[in-house]
Amino acid sequence: MSSLTSASFGLVAAWVVISAPCRADAQSNSDSRLTRLDATTRVAVAAVVDSARKTRLPTEPLVDKALEGARKGADGERIVAAVRSLFSELRTARVALGAGATSDEINAGANALHAGLPMRNLAQLRSAAQHAGRARVTLPLTVVTDLVARGVPIAVTSDIVLSLVRSGLRDADFGLFQRNVRLDIEHGADAATAAQTRARGAILHGGRSSH
Amino acid sequence: MDRSTDAQIVERVLRGDAELYAELVQRYRDRYARYALHMLGNREDAEEALQDAFTRAYRSLARCEDPERFGAWLFRILVNRCRTMGARRGRRLRTFVSDDLALYEAAEDHPAERNAWREEIERALGRLRPEQREAFLLKYVEELGYDEISRLTGAGVSALKMRVMRACDRLRELLSDVVDDREVREERGLPEVNDARHT
Amino acid sequence: MWIQRVIAELRRPVRMDDEFDRNVMSVVRSLPRHRYGTWARALRPRTITVRPLLPSVAAVFLLAVALSLGHAIGTLRAARRTRTRSDVAADRAASARVTTRRAVQFVLVAPTARKVQVVGDFNDWDASHDEFRAEHRGGGVWSVTAAVPEGNHRYSFVVDDSLWVVDPTAPRVIDDNYGMPNSALLVEGGDAGR
Repeated sequence: MSSLTSASFGLVAAWVVISAPCRADAQSNSDSRLTRLDATTRVAVAAVVDSARKTRLPTEPLVDKALEGARKGADGERIVAAVRSLFSELRTARVALGAGATSDEINAGANALHAGLPMRNLAQLRSAAQHAGRARVTLPLTVVTDLVARGVPIAVTSDIVLSLVRSGLRDADFGLFQRNVRLDIEHGADAATAAQTRARGAILHGGRSSH
Repeated sequence: MDRSTDAQIVERVLRGDAELYAELVQRYRDRYARYALHMLGNREDAEEALQDAFTRAYRSLARCEDPERFGAWLFRILVNRCRTMGARRGRRLRTFVSDDLALYEAAEDHPAERNAWREEIERALGRLRPEQREAFLLKYVEELGYDEISRLTGAGVSALKMRVMRACDRLRELLSDVVDDREVREERGLPEVNDARHT
Repeated sequence: MWIQRVIAELRRPVRMDDEFDRNVMSVVRSLPRHRYGTWARALRPRTITVRPLLPSVAAVFLLAVALSLGHAIGTLRAARRTRTRSDVAADRAASARVTTRRAVQFVLVAPTARKVQVVGDFNDWDASHDEFRAEHRGGGVWSVTAAVPEGNHRYSFVVDDSLWVVDPTAPRVIDDNYGMPNSALLVEGGDAGR
């Protein structure tokens, strides 16, 4: 091989070495907080956390879910089931939200999926946010989960939040909308009616409160 | 009942019948899941790569130049996705969980034994160089011809043959302590001895 | 031959469940529909497949230059666009090392309580942290202001070490795994969002 060819290969090799992601073989370091769990549960949870780490999903929500279960006195089987379920939801949320989604968005997306939001609606919400120039969907997704938790049917919730996102509603106005709906429900209003009414107002007025 | 061809389905999807794409998903998902699973070494990555491949294929469906060979075109996308994912995540120990595979397949006759064997194979596969693993899987598991593999991967036929040969050599080396003694003796032309099955 | 056993094992069919199909179709439905049939192909530029360059001097140099350019362009694009998935992992690593915390006030009206604590993912659901123990302000009003990292959180009040109570003024999370719901807290940079 000529010296010139050797130099060329050396150049490419150097480039490859420099440019390749320098990543240590990520061993599964068990989170020390998991020692609160019994051995069997700990092993099962650590395996799920490990899978999440390797697929670059946020691991903290999984550890947190396990610790929550331990704190609430749930048995090992229930904790493992909850962690696995969340793992699946995080994965689905990431697919729907696409590359570029932050950990908080993925987490919020998983919560929304758990609340019953269909995956396609999650993808739609992301798409709508991008078109409306909204950088993050964390807050709208939090609103989805909250409305469902307060009794607004998921289909209605999904339509409402999608409309609010499309209208370009700001974060502060989202917060105001949420508060208004909550107060209306606490005053005895039907959840869906309150949400739809307040949504129309929020879009019209940019979220100005009447409370 | 006549089954629509891939080309017919692609044409209808391109005309707006998106729901019909589900038919293509169902046709190819299982077969290509197998490749993704062996290439990437775990269920989560395999599902993600496959899902990604299907959605990318849908997005760029108008660029499928030969809809009759949609499957091959989709497979090329999947092979590339597996390469990208494999490269991005680096070489790492594949934690192949046999439970995962049990979820995929039909009921096993001897689950414990088979799963142990499977785990050994997957572990050995994981230790091959990616291009060797890719060539081995495409040649022997997906049963493609070298010309087709060459079109799929961009590598020359002689390079591919070398990769396959090296993959076989390496697998033999890695699996030598779990292969049945009897098989090894048969291969080497050695006389029968008392049966001592490796586990 | 042993290799045949290996191949036979690897050829065993793999079966995906219907959830996979549903997930793919969910994304497909959210994408713009195709409209123009085969005419769309005629209108689109053709894809050109570039085979790997032969190992010659010039080819290797060109490859190195092209890759370097591509790397530089990719780096610039990544800096301009929304973050890549690798940044998600960096998120976690970064948040573990440097967490920006914001003061958040938690308030619960519980006239008959003797003790009120806040537990959540920000304190690993551990009630022993004094900084999250509420003080009685009078008239049944309990409150505590604590530093909470920026981000998305779940939490609850624990009254008298035994009663789990959601924050009535906060958004809810459907946390039905353990039979006790939680409240959501979104702490953003600048102003706390609840």
